[in-house]
Amino acid sequence: VRPVYAAPDKISDKVEESIKNAEAACGENPASGECVAAWDEVEELSAAASHARDKKKDSDPLEAYCKDHPETDECRTYED
Amino acid sequence: MAICTVYTTKLNPACSSFSTPSKTHLGFHQKQVVFYKKSSSRSTRGTSPYFITCSAGDSQTIVIGLAADSGCGKSTFMRRLTSVFGGAAEPPKGGNPDSNTLISDTTTVICLDDYHSLDRTGRKEKGVTALDPRANNFDLMYEQVKALKDGVAVEKPIYNHVTGLLDPPELIKPPKILVIEGLHPMFDSRVRDLLDFSIYLDISNEVKFAWKIQRDMAERGHSLESIKASIEARKPDFDAYIDTQKQYADTVIEVLPTQLIPDDNEGKVLRVKLIMKEGVEYFSPVYLFDEGSTISWIPCGRKLTCSYPGIKFTYGPDAYFSHEVSVLEMDGQFDRLDELIYVESHLSNISTKFYGEVTQQMLKHADFPGSNNGTGLFQTIVGLKIRDLFEQIIASKAKTPVEATKA
Repeated sequence: VRPVYAAPDKISDKVEESIKNAEAACGENPASGECVAAWDEVEELSAAASHARDKKKDSDPLEAYCKDHPETDECRTYED
Repeated sequence: MAICTVYTTKLNPACSSFSTPSKTHLGFHQKQVVFYKKSSSRSTRGTSPYFITCSAGDSQTIVIGLAADSGCGKSTFMRRLTSVFGGAAEPPKGGNPDSNTLISDTTTVICLDDYHSLDRTGRKEKGVTALDPRANNFDLMYEQVKALKDGVAVEKPIYNHVTGLLDPPELIKPPKILVIEGLHPMFDSRVRDLLDFSIYLDISNEVKFAWKIQRDMAERGHSLESIKASIEARKPDFDAYIDTQKQYADTVIEVLPTQLIPDDNEGKVLRVKLIMKEGVEYFSPVYLFDEGSTISWIPCGRKLTCSYPGIKFTYGPDAYFSHEVSVLEMDGQFDRLDELIYVESHLSNISTKFYGEVTQQMLKHADFPGSNNGTGLFQTIVGLKIRDLFEQIIASKAKTPVEATKA
């Protein structure tokens, strides 16, 4: 059984949610392990979100199309 | 040479397709080892792995360690490094889409987050961060890195950064160059001893803050306060467990705010130091003009026009954690290519194969962060030094084949 993977848009929701949780967890005791672990989760999700953004940004629409349709006029390339 | 088959059904039924022995793209035969676990990944600590080994292979894997905090440009460095060896680094084909591994023809990069012993929920319950050694399984890390170095394929777990769960493992075959990147490559002394070369990316607090603002401000929910709070909360663990590793690194890339602009805190102009340990086997530090002298050099003048705030290089011997080191520093940023080739022609021992290789590598990735300052320049140079180190190790092993098969 394959696990379900979240889409990049869902990471943004998760980041927002984790920040709220961290702020709540730190309200009681800012030096507690609970608070520190909550902010660590924020960092992990922010990093994941930024990596997902970078991946998305890199994709050229023509390149993506040509991967699937290499034989079309706009995609054909010859070595010589 | 014998080839053996290992069935990994106990770990992951979906992996059976991996069990066919094959010749890899590297051209040497593979061996496989399976690490049996007692049920969950949390119980692996203390249980000894079950090795299935075949005859000694002719593989020669060299292991490089890269340590840095998250959000400090590890992935940019990795892309520059794999580019020096040629070919693009890509995630394993057909596997878990959230795999952290990158594979190219010669190089495999594994992320040490995959050796978390506690998943996100587990860390929250115990109140520990990912930086804490208690959240990481160093026994499994050591066993698997050692196996890969000995030319044995392993089933490595995958830590999914999106879900925060430990996913079913993936098969990692021994590459020519194995890079382990993450928070703790030099923390455990056994893993440290396996490294042929180690690098630490040391980002100063001011720059880290500026970079995280750039990275996160656009993200919903984040504010200056949340970014600051996250850095501050992680700082005690960072200082205790991550920062202490830099004393073991063969090379440290330190990123600091510029000194060319008074009171600059934008983090756009950077002062970058390349601290290179002396006396490391197969690694001879880069120098400027004259080896061992202390030199300050401003390349801007009649031959080179620079815009504000200009560029300043410094080079000289120093001490770092009571080790003798050579330090090359660059403050400022490049505006145009001719500046870089001018600088490259005055550096020595950069292990290039032809004149202009550093400039060419930098040009290839002009869109990467840091391409106009010392971070990109020094990362590229370290990449070339690693290629040189790799070639020297392979050459020396070929001379003494008896020693190479001591495993």
